[in-house]
Amino acid sequence: MKYAIIAKKDMPRWFDSLKRHGKIFGPRKKEHQYVFRPIDEFEEMSLVYIPTILPPKKYYFPQKEALLKFSIDPYKTDKAIKEFEEYILFAVHTCDIAGIQCLDVVFNDNPADPNYLNRKEKTTVIGIECMDYCDSHASCAAVGNHVPRGGYDIMLTDLDGSYAMHINSEKGEKLAVGKSYIREMNATDRARLKKAQDEKLKKFHNEFSKDIKSVERAFDDGFFSPVWQDVGRRCVGCTNCTAVCPTCYCFDIADEMEMNLNDGVRTRTWSYCQMDDFAKVATGEDFRPGRDGRQRHRYYRKFKYPVTKYNKYFCTGCGRCTRTCMAKISLVETVNALLDNKA
Amino acid sequence: MSKAKPKVAFFEFTDCEGCQLQVANLGADLLELTKAVDIVNFREIMSEEGQEYDVLVVEGSIASKHDEERLKAIAAKAKVIVALGACAATGGVNNLKNLKSLEEQKKIVYGDVDPVKDAVAAKPIDAVVKVDYYVHGCPIHGPEFVKVMQCVLMGKPYKVPTYPVCVECRQNENVCLYDKGQFCLGPITRAGCNSWLPNNGVPCVGCRGLIDNPAANAQKDILEKYGLTVEGILDKFTLYCNAQKERAKYDKEFKS
Amino acid sequence: MKTELSYQELLKTSPYKPVKAKIVKTNKYTEFEKLFRIELDGKKDLEHVPGQFVQVSLFGVGEAPISVCSSPTEKGYFDLTVRRVGGLTTAMHKLETGSVLGIRGPFGKGFPLDAMRGNDILIVAGGLGIVPLRSLIHYILDQRKDFGDVQILLGCKTPKDMLFGEEVEAWQKRADIKFNCTVDRADPDWKGNVGLITSLIPGASIEPKKTYAVVVGPPIMYKFVIVELLKKEIPGHQIIVSLERKMKCGLGKCGHCQIRGVYVCQSGPVFTYDELRQMEGECHEGECHV
Repeated sequence: MKYAIIAKKDMPRWFDSLKRHGKIFGPRKKEHQYVFRPIDEFEEMSLVYIPTILPPKKYYFPQKEALLKFSIDPYKTDKAIKEFEEYILFAVHTCDIAGIQCLDVVFNDNPADPNYLNRKEKTTVIGIECMDYCDSHASCAAVGNHVPRGGYDIMLTDLDGSYAMHINSEKGEKLAVGKSYIREMNATDRARLKKAQDEKLKKFHNEFSKDIKSVERAFDDGFFSPVWQDVGRRCVGCTNCTAVCPTCYCFDIADEMEMNLNDGVRTRTWSYCQMDDFAKVATGEDFRPGRDGRQRHRYYRKFKYPVTKYNKYFCTGCGRCTRTCMAKISLVETVNALLDNKA
Repeated sequence: MSKAKPKVAFFEFTDCEGCQLQVANLGADLLELTKAVDIVNFREIMSEEGQEYDVLVVEGSIASKHDEERLKAIAAKAKVIVALGACAATGGVNNLKNLKSLEEQKKIVYGDVDPVKDAVAAKPIDAVVKVDYYVHGCPIHGPEFVKVMQCVLMGKPYKVPTYPVCVECRQNENVCLYDKGQFCLGPITRAGCNSWLPNNGVPCVGCRGLIDNPAANAQKDILEKYGLTVEGILDKFTLYCNAQKERAKYDKEFKS
Repeated sequence: MKTELSYQELLKTSPYKPVKAKIVKTNKYTEFEKLFRIELDGKKDLEHVPGQFVQVSLFGVGEAPISVCSSPTEKGYFDLTVRRVGGLTTAMHKLETGSVLGIRGPFGKGFPLDAMRGNDILIVAGGLGIVPLRSLIHYILDQRKDFGDVQILLGCKTPKDMLFGEEVEAWQKRADIKFNCTVDRADPDWKGNVGLITSLIPGASIEPKKTYAVVVGPPIMYKFVIVELLKKEIPGHQIIVSLERKMKCGLGKCGHCQIRGVYVCQSGPVFTYDELRQMEGECHEGECHV
C-alpha cells in the first residue's frame, strides 16, 4: 500500500493504535503558540498550527544529553544511555522534516554520531502537509519545503472529510496495514488529492525577491555587505534565533558530577554561535567578537556553507527565527536586502 | 575515602537570609552534600556554632564599618570564600539605599535617632574580601548552589554563564513575555537560574545582574518597539543592577 | 584513527570516549608551562602527524585541545606541553607522574610532510608556537637527510619564557641546522638578539622556490611575519601556519572552531597562507592580505 485514505472521524482510533509502537509527541497549543509535547489523546493536538516554539529536534538532538558515563578513580568509562526508546513524531510539518533531513546528513557525516543515530533509528515520523501558509513569516516555498519531499514514514494530506496517507517506509506500512478503517486509495481519491495539492500550490510563492540560485550568488558576494552591520546593530544577542532553528546543531560538552565527586556524566548541551563566548578561547581571544559577524555566520550556515559542503540549504523556511526575534530581524527581509545590495 | 571532610560555615550580613533558606530547602541534595562536607555553622538548620572552617559561605551585603571588620575577621580563617546570593555577590537590593546620601537614608529610616553610627554605603562582599565563587540570584537557585559547591570541593572554578536568561527560557519552551506585551529583563540578565521566573509566567527582574557584554543600543530599540519608555527601563534596573559597571553602558546609550 | 566503523560497531563504541592514558614524566619549564610525557593504555602509539592535536580529558573537569609536541618517530609515548590558562589546564598542572587522564584523537590535519620533504625548511616560532613546532623539529631531525637546509627562528617575550631550554641549546650547536633566536625584552644575562621575530627574517638566506616556511605563534605575529615571508617571495602555498581556535568535539560537529565554512578541528589547525586568504574576513590571521 503506497497511498491510503482515512476518514477524519477514524483518526482517534488510528492514533490509539499507534500508542503501542511508542510514545507519541505532537503539536499542542500553548497560550497563543504551539509546542511539541507527549500526547495521550488525539484531541489534545492541534493539527493546524504555526511552527512550534522549538522544533521536534529536541527529541532526536535534545537540549541536554549524556554522551558518556565515567568514574575518576579508578578510571572507568561506560555507555551513558543503555537503551533508546521507540517514539512517534505526529503531525510534523514538511519544513521540520527538512530539518530532520539536514541533521541526518550532519550526524551521519564521518565520524558519525552514535547518540543521534541511535535515536533516529527509534524515530517514526508522521508528517502533515500544510495546505496554506501558517503565517507571514514562513519562507518554505523559496527553499522548496512547502511540499513533502521524503524524510517521513507517513504523510497526511487534508482532503476535507478525510486524510490522504502517503506511506513512505516499511515502518509506515506497519502502522497503516490491517486497519479496517484505512483503505487503499482509488482513482477518485487520487484525483481529489491532486486537485487539493494543485490548489494549494497556487497559494504559495517564492518569498524572496529573486530565485534561490540568485540568493546563493548573493551570499557568494555578500560577505562584506553592509547588511550584516545593520543586522548586527539591531541584534540584542538573546540567541533565540539559534535556539529555535531546526538545523542549528552546535553544542558544548561539559562534565556533571554526582555528589560523591567521583562518578559523573559527560553531557552535551545546545550552544549557539550568537553566544558571547562561543568562539572565545581560554586565553581570552575571541575569534568572532561582533554581533554583526555572529549574525552573518548564522545566515551563512543556512545559505552558503552547507550548500558547499552537502549541497543542501540549511534554512528550512520554517520562519521560527523571524517569529522569535525580539528585535524583529526578519530572515526574508535580510535575504532580500542582501539581494538588493548586490543588484 | 578517609580524607577529612572540608568544614563549611555559613555567615550572614545585611540580608533577609532567604538564600540560606534556599539551601536549607534543598532537601535530599543537602543531605547528599553533607556526605561530602561538614557544616559547622548554619543557623537556619543548626544551633551549634563551629569557628573552624575551610569554606566560608557569606550571605548579605556589607553596610557598616562593623560589617567590614567582622567579614575580614571571619574571612581570614577561610581557604575559600563563596558569595551567596545577590546581596553578597552584587549588593542586591541593599544598593537601593545608596540612591540617597547616608544622612538622608538615616533620616528616612530612623528619624532623629541614629542607631547605626558606623553605617557605610551598601556594597557586595568582594569590595572587602577576595571572593572565589559567586552564586548569583535573589534568591539563589538551589541546583546552581549545589554545582558551585561541587566545584569548590573539586578545586575547580565555577563559570557563571555569560549568556542571557533567554537561552534557558527558550530551551524551556516558554512563550516569550515580550510576545505578550510584558517587559522582561531576560535578554540582558545572566542566565543560571533555569529561567525560574519566566517558567512561572513572571518577567525576569534581573536579580542575577546584567550580562558582561550587553547590547544596550539594540535593547533600547526593542523596548521602544514594544512601547516602553527609556525611564521605565532604567527604573527596572534600579532594583538589582544599579551598582554594576555594565549599567553605565545603558545610561550612555539610553540617554543619548 | 580514520578507520571506517560499521554502524553496529558505532553503536558499541563512541567517538566521545577517551582512551585511558598515564603520565610517565613531567617537566615544569616555567611557572605557566609544563611538559607531560604520556603513555596510552597498552603503550599504543598515538600515530599522529606533527601539527595535530589531541583532546585531553580530566573527568569532572572536562576536555581541552592540546597540540602534540613530540614526533611520531618517538615510539611508546607522546609529549604535551601545556600552558596554564583555563580550567582544564590549571587542573592538569596539578598532575604528576603516575596520574591518569583520558585522550581522544589525534585530530585535524598536520603539517604537509610529504610536500615539505626534499625542500628547505624555515621554522618561525613565536612564544608558545614552539610547542607544535617541536614535534616537527624532532621529526625533521630524526630524518634529517630527507630535507634540505633547515633554519629555526625562535622568538619569545623574555629569556625566562624560553621553553625546551636544553633542546634549544642542542639545536644551536648542531652544524646541520641554522638557529637564531630573539627576545622582546632582554635580561642582564642575555647575549643574543633583542627585538621582534620579524626582524630575523630579512637577514635569513632563503631560496624561495624551494622553501617551506612553517610559522606558528600568536595571531598578531602571523600578520607581520607573513608580510616578511612574502617579501622574500615564498609562494603562498609554501607558507604554513597553525591556528588556535576553540575546539570542543574535534569531530567537525560542535561548531566552535569554524572559520567561514571550515572546521579548523578537521581541515586545520594547519593551513597554507593561500588557504587563509580564502577565509578572509572571518580569520584574524587571514587579514594579512597584502
